[in-house]
Amino acid sequence: MGRGRLVVLLSAASLALCACVQTRQIADVEFEPPQGDYSLIVMRPDVTVGLVTAGGLVEPRADWTEKARANLLKALAEQQAGRGGRTRILETRGGIPGVDEQEVADLERLHAAVGQSIALHKYLGAELPTKRRRGIDWTLGEEAVKFGRATGMDYALFLHAEDSFASTGRVALQVLGIAGCFVGFCAPQGGGGQSAYASLVDLRTGEVAWFNVLQTQSMMPGIGFGDIRTPDGAAQMVERLLGRMKAGRHVRARR
Amino acid sequence: MSAPLTRRSVLGTFGCACCLGAVGAAQARIPPRSMKPLIGPGHRPTAKDELGMWQQYERVEQEIAGSNLLLEDAGLASYLGGLAERVGGPAAKDLRVYIARIPEFNAFMAPTGFMVVFTGLLLRMRDEAQLSGVIAHEGGHFLRRHQIRMWRDMKRKTAALNFLAMGAGVGGAAGGFYAGELVQLAQFGTILSLLSYSRELESEADAIGLLQISEAGYDPAAMPETWQQLIEELDASAAVRRKRRRRNYSLLETHPAPETRMVDLRTSAREVTTARTTERGRDRYLRALGGHRRTLLDDQVKLNDPGAAHYIIRNLAKDGWNGLLRYYEGEVWRLKGGPGDSVMAGRNYAAAIAYPDAPPEAWRAHGYQLLKDGRREEGKAALARYLVLAPRAPDAAMVRHLAGQ
Repeated sequence: MGRGRLVVLLSAASLALCACVQTRQIADVEFEPPQGDYSLIVMRPDVTVGLVTAGGLVEPRADWTEKARANLLKALAEQQAGRGGRTRILETRGGIPGVDEQEVADLERLHAAVGQSIALHKYLGAELPTKRRRGIDWTLGEEAVKFGRATGMDYALFLHAEDSFASTGRVALQVLGIAGCFVGFCAPQGGGGQSAYASLVDLRTGEVAWFNVLQTQSMMPGIGFGDIRTPDGAAQMVERLLGRMKAGRHVRARR
Repeated sequence: MSAPLTRRSVLGTFGCACCLGAVGAAQARIPPRSMKPLIGPGHRPTAKDELGMWQQYERVEQEIAGSNLLLEDAGLASYLGGLAERVGGPAAKDLRVYIARIPEFNAFMAPTGFMVVFTGLLLRMRDEAQLSGVIAHEGGHFLRRHQIRMWRDMKRKTAALNFLAMGAGVGGAAGGFYAGELVQLAQFGTILSLLSYSRELESEADAIGLLQISEAGYDPAAMPETWQQLIEELDASAAVRRKRRRRNYSLLETHPAPETRMVDLRTSAREVTTARTTERGRDRYLRALGGHRRTLLDDQVKLNDPGAAHYIIRNLAKDGWNGLLRYYEGEVWRLKGGPGDSVMAGRNYAAAIAYPDAPPEAWRAHGYQLLKDGRREEGKAALARYLVLAPRAPDAAMVRHLAGQ
């Protein structure tokens, strides 16, 4: 009996560890969060919402994705307006008169490469000695500055968001995995979860000024951390991702 | 204690059934005429999983359509689009073709109806019939709804496996036995079964592709030829490196072995050959390919795979040598750079310039070779010819100096 209770306690503790929201932002050492009269262009935001199948695959769902995307963009524009920012959403590469589609594509591809490098060296542990304690020290260079001049925008935001929800079969497995704890076979299963990142590029300097990664994961059936298909859930994700932008290390040191 | 025993035997049976399912299915050939398209013209998804898949692939297509790897040639792209229309069956109007400049023998089909053809594939095709065969194979994936069927198969099998593993774990804990090994066996069985399904779908695409090209009037023998060429090329490539061609366990492959595909396609081709299926369309293909063949040869030669490059060039030369092929044959020898190879290179350059279509570079290479051999005047004359043909070449000044001009 005593052993059984211990198992339950231990498993409850481990489950609590498995259900969490994590964000980790890194800024340029001289970064000042945008405030006042500024403009922001959101580059073809990439949103996917899917269903977690019993086998653990994520199956994208078109209707959920569209709903979530609309909600996220609305919440984002409202949040930025609260700080004085004007938000413009770039839906297609050809969406800016006077800017060639190919130039937008080039900038996106450049950012994808730079973003991968940031992820690798700042988030996945492959730290570079030359970039230690220097915050986000990456730039998109002249191309971004040129893009800023052509669009008249101060910042570009690259946004990627995923959300997923457990299917009935997955929930059944989650329940089984936890129920198993009572007989000594604890196998909590991941359900839905969110992962998102935002990357803010200062179009006046071309530098990646601020970067944030958000992750939520729950192994408890029925417990989630927001649902971006709903306006509230979307606002919550935007808040978690972009709400508390911290100034850069040097800026904070001077204060 | 009979319950665990039962579970164990059930588990064992499941695992073995999976393995046998995969092993036993040394995939029988699929007769082409048994393959019917599963979609009609203007196919649009209705099921939720397919709608989601299409939405994802729309973004992929945007990415590909704007990719800087695409070969910029509207004429060639529309030629390939025309072929897709001709062999696309009910999807004729729905297929889109993009050409990516990647020197590899490959092509792929997206579930939404666009395909990407690599330039390495275009290089290896001797005529329109061969090319149409590959396009029809890719189109066949679309006609038979392979991506969504694959996805659904994967959903089903991974779910079954997960429930089984969970049941075995919980049941094992309750009944006091360890089922981990059996679960591992079932896992392996699931993987084999997924791969087996993938190979089955590839065979389907071969079969329906063959049917499509024969209905369009092409010689169906062109399709097994493509596989024969691939096998011979891989052998040639390996032989130069003093290796054997990599042969994988077919059980662990997503595609059937090239030999299997070739043999099955040969049998199937005989089934669909009629008096009407004779078209090869070599001239049309060469016209559409135009100056690209030279670029593609250049890309291939620089891959540092002399065995493959020699094979590809000689395979194309089965339709007759010309200046272009001779020049690049020489280039392969020159870049290989072994003892005696420069003599072979020189012979090919000398042969190249005898053809009216020899590229200017053949004259330059021939000239250098002559200079090396101490035939100064002849060498200078060849270089002079290069300068006449390519006066604005980036190395013109240097060549002019060597030519004593």
